[in-house]
Amino acid sequence: MPHILKIKPIDNWLKKNNWNYYDHQIETLKLSQNGFDVLLVAPTGGGKTLAGFLPSLNDLINNRPKKNKLHTLYISPLKALTIDVHRNLNNPIEDQGLDIRVETRTGDTSAYKKNRQKVLPPHMLMTTPESLALLLSNKESKDYFKDLRYLIIDEIHVLVNSKRGDLLSLNLSRINSMSPDCKRIGLSATVKNKNTVLKFLTSKKKTKILNVEETSHPKIEILETNTRVPWSGHMASYAIKDIYQKIKKSSLTIVFVNTRAQAELVFNKLWQENDKNLRIAIHHGSLEKEIRRKVESLMSLGKIDCVVATSSLDLGIDWGDIDLVIQIGSPKGISRFLQRIGRSNHKFDEPSNALLVPSNRFEYLECLSAINSIKNKLLDETKEKKGSLDVLAQHILGVACSAPFHVDELYNQVINAWPYRHLTKIKFFEVLEFVKNGGYSLKYYEQYSKIALNKNKLYAIKNKSIRNRYKLNVGTIVESYMLKVKLGNRTLGQVEEWFIEGLNEGDTFLFSGRVLEYQTILNDNVIVKSTSHTQPKIPSYAGGRLPLSTELSIEVRKLLSKKQFWKNFPNQINEWLKLQSKFSNLPSLNGLLVETFPRLVSGKKRFFLICYTFEGRNANQTLGFLILRKMQRIGCKPISFVATDYALAIWSINEVKDINIILNDDLMLDDLYEWLEETPLLKKNFRDAAIISGLIERSIPGQKKTGKQVLFNSDLIFNVLRKHEPKHLLLEVARDDSYRGLIDLDRLSEFLKRIENNITYKKLDRISPLAVPLILEINRQTIDKSEMEEYFLEELENEILSEVGLN
Amino acid sequence: MKTINFNNHKFQISRDGILFWFDKQIAIISDLHLEKGSSFGSSGQFLPPYDSEETLTKLLNTIKKYNITKVILLGDTFHDKNAFSRMSNKVLILFETFIKKYEVIFVLGNHETKMKFEHIKFFNEYVLDGIHFIHQTSKKCIYQISGHYHPVATIRTGAKKITGKCFIQEQYNLIMPSYGVYTGGLNIRNKIFKKIFKKEPNVYFLGKRSIYKFPYKFYL
Repeated sequence: MPHILKIKPIDNWLKKNNWNYYDHQIETLKLSQNGFDVLLVAPTGGGKTLAGFLPSLNDLINNRPKKNKLHTLYISPLKALTIDVHRNLNNPIEDQGLDIRVETRTGDTSAYKKNRQKVLPPHMLMTTPESLALLLSNKESKDYFKDLRYLIIDEIHVLVNSKRGDLLSLNLSRINSMSPDCKRIGLSATVKNKNTVLKFLTSKKKTKILNVEETSHPKIEILETNTRVPWSGHMASYAIKDIYQKIKKSSLTIVFVNTRAQAELVFNKLWQENDKNLRIAIHHGSLEKEIRRKVESLMSLGKIDCVVATSSLDLGIDWGDIDLVIQIGSPKGISRFLQRIGRSNHKFDEPSNALLVPSNRFEYLECLSAINSIKNKLLDETKEKKGSLDVLAQHILGVACSAPFHVDELYNQVINAWPYRHLTKIKFFEVLEFVKNGGYSLKYYEQYSKIALNKNKLYAIKNKSIRNRYKLNVGTIVESYMLKVKLGNRTLGQVEEWFIEGLNEGDTFLFSGRVLEYQTILNDNVIVKSTSHTQPKIPSYAGGRLPLSTELSIEVRKLLSKKQFWKNFPNQINEWLKLQSKFSNLPSLNGLLVETFPRLVSGKKRFFLICYTFEGRNANQTLGFLILRKMQRIGCKPISFVATDYALAIWSINEVKDINIILNDDLMLDDLYEWLEETPLLKKNFRDAAIISGLIERSIPGQKKTGKQVLFNSDLIFNVLRKHEPKHLLLEVARDDSYRGLIDLDRLSEFLKRIENNITYKKLDRISPLAVPLILEINRQTIDKSEMEEYFLEELENEILSEVGLN
Repeated sequence: MKTINFNNHKFQISRDGILFWFDKQIAIISDLHLEKGSSFGSSGQFLPPYDSEETLTKLLNTIKKYNITKVILLGDTFHDKNAFSRMSNKVLILFETFIKKYEVIFVLGNHETKMKFEHIKFFNEYVLDGIHFIHQTSKKCIYQISGHYHPVATIRTGAKKITGKCFIQEQYNLIMPSYGVYTGGLNIRNKIFKKIFKKEPNVYFLGKRSIYKFPYKFYL
């Protein structure tokens, strides 16, 4: 390849390894040399990382810039990725004996090393958005970043449209004011909205998107099995034998699952099958760091045959020799699936191998849709999110911690960050007031303001302790309170407190691939012992389940609505759908199928109403609550509902007479606002906003506060604030987050528009084939019935009282 | 309202945690912790400073519905010794209305020991018809109604658990829940309560719709 490169040491190193530059690597270098900020969009394993670092390496090798100044900053969303990239970059540097110092700085970096980095900055620093925010809050930060020449953001698509991204974006804008000539390079996986990602990366005019097309198509199949695909459930236990056979035939397999609970169960089942004693490991976010690192290094050494993993292994890291990726359960979104497939044959020009294992019948359709989407190069769209105000509050305090600021200058800097480009000055001042003293109309706290104008009319922090406390509260991820799981002296990992609260002494659960017996809680540690039990309770963890993406849901409806597609389906699925079309109807592409039928529940006649929306679990859950409310009002006496990604089932004591009244969108949205105010979701989002914004602290120096106390307090505050200042900044943040998040308001409104005058109603005398998975799900799920808790209390009291003979 | 008997007197408890002694036209309330919210201000934590207003309004609204002349506050009425100086005008007016309208007995709580305020007289203990009204229960075998511990209880409903404030009662002891809107709680399963109650006590759980009395063993 003819090129103008004179990065001799890198050329030599590549030649030595029999490698050559990729075109896009040269292109990135040229563009950067000509003053462009570059967004490189490429599938995984395309030499993206080297492309990102080439301009910086070139500058360091050929131009010998100032010593002892930070030259290049590399930011990635994952700690593990910074470590991995650090290692990969050090290979050529050490091999060629280059005088370039590369270091990492994350939450795991020792205080000693951090201090040394302050005095003697490395040429290249690899860090995360949170560690960057911390570094920037130091007094010396202006000087520290003054000579920065290159800024590389890896996996940048993951950060866009998230609170973490908001924080990073604000800090990018800040760095821009410190070193305006610094060149930026963003590295992204294939995404639909490339332009947004570019805008997020840089506000400069001279920019370029480099798009690298995939040269090979992944080979994806759905597992063929002689076993029956179950009607409902998420564990795919039926397919374990087949999966094990596939693992046996491959040299290194990653089995991806969607939740940590699934990971534990699949891991356990695989070991029950493991007659060949394959080396099967487990990897998920709750496991102790050392355990995870060990699995990772065993993988890269090829000393493992299979890893069961959650999204903890989704991103970036180059494992090299994985030859099969198995996805259990639907990937729920196209982009995420692509990312996971990319883990296998992490080489640019060889096809990836992937196997999909649907865990129930609906998921079969979903898996097929995912494959079709990838063939047709469809991608998920991420909804654009405006910059969150709680993150801005945290940022403003951070800026004040590093140096006094001028209000107008800071405002201009903030709106230069892409997510905050529409922020009005009025809103900005509202946030500033909040940072100062809580922003209440009652001016009581003025005397205690955290930041105040100094004699130069600049805002400065009142004292040093504010900086120290800021540092303890940096970040946008609020985790639920976790307890360490201890087996003897070993820490296995962490579980949510509420899970342990639900256990009694002697109960068993799966964790870290073992069956453990719960003994007691001691100083925030869960004390367990090993046991030979075979029927453990499964740990469940909050969150983790993503709803079916809009794009995938359209594909599923397409599959269902066109009978010509069905002939390629396995027999059992084909028969199921045929039966449904004979018995009732099939959901159409754009309309809504509603079924009603009576059914006995514990000996009593109940009326079921099923809506096949295909709008994802979150939107369906919201819709469920709204319909429940309406049915209550018109006297149908609804009992409960269950929501899946595909449909919603509500059962009631009285029959619904008119479907159209139930699904009228105007009335529905009015209800929504009223309902939202009562949900635990709003409270949870308020708590997060309160912590991110600094109203409630994560921890206070010298004082231990448990996660539970934070939750309790934030609930109390929430109620009082809602009554006295219903328009308070933090309530606004909590509402916005709720609408965007679990409630999925946009999707719901679009859905209601879509189905207007397009409802097919089937009144049946018994359950339809399509409804079977849903009815089965009822027994699995326990819905959050906060509204109905009190009914239960009454029932419970009566039950218990009769049981003990007092009634 | 739920009726309970204590030392052969009839009391009523309300869902928001007030104890009524209607025979004497008395309402008993514990642990208001006024100005708890603002007490964090000096350390730079700006909690919504409306808790006193909320607590007093709630209190006045409940007792005005009944024929009450006297109110006994079982201590920790004020969160700290400077609570008064931080009250907003609105709260001061509410407070004044309260002490003018009712004969208010202030029992001294541990949060108030350093408080100096000439208009308020604190009692270490207030006795009426053989019942001792105190802040923190003592080991003596006397009939005593107290607060201090902010008892809460947890009960499982289906797969979920809910936690709420509660009254705990045995022969000599009646411990009241905290009333202030910013007050937290101590679970009745905490070992501290084991030292106070020799037998399994009666627990009255304050639900949103009603007051429940489950057998002790059902509380988590």
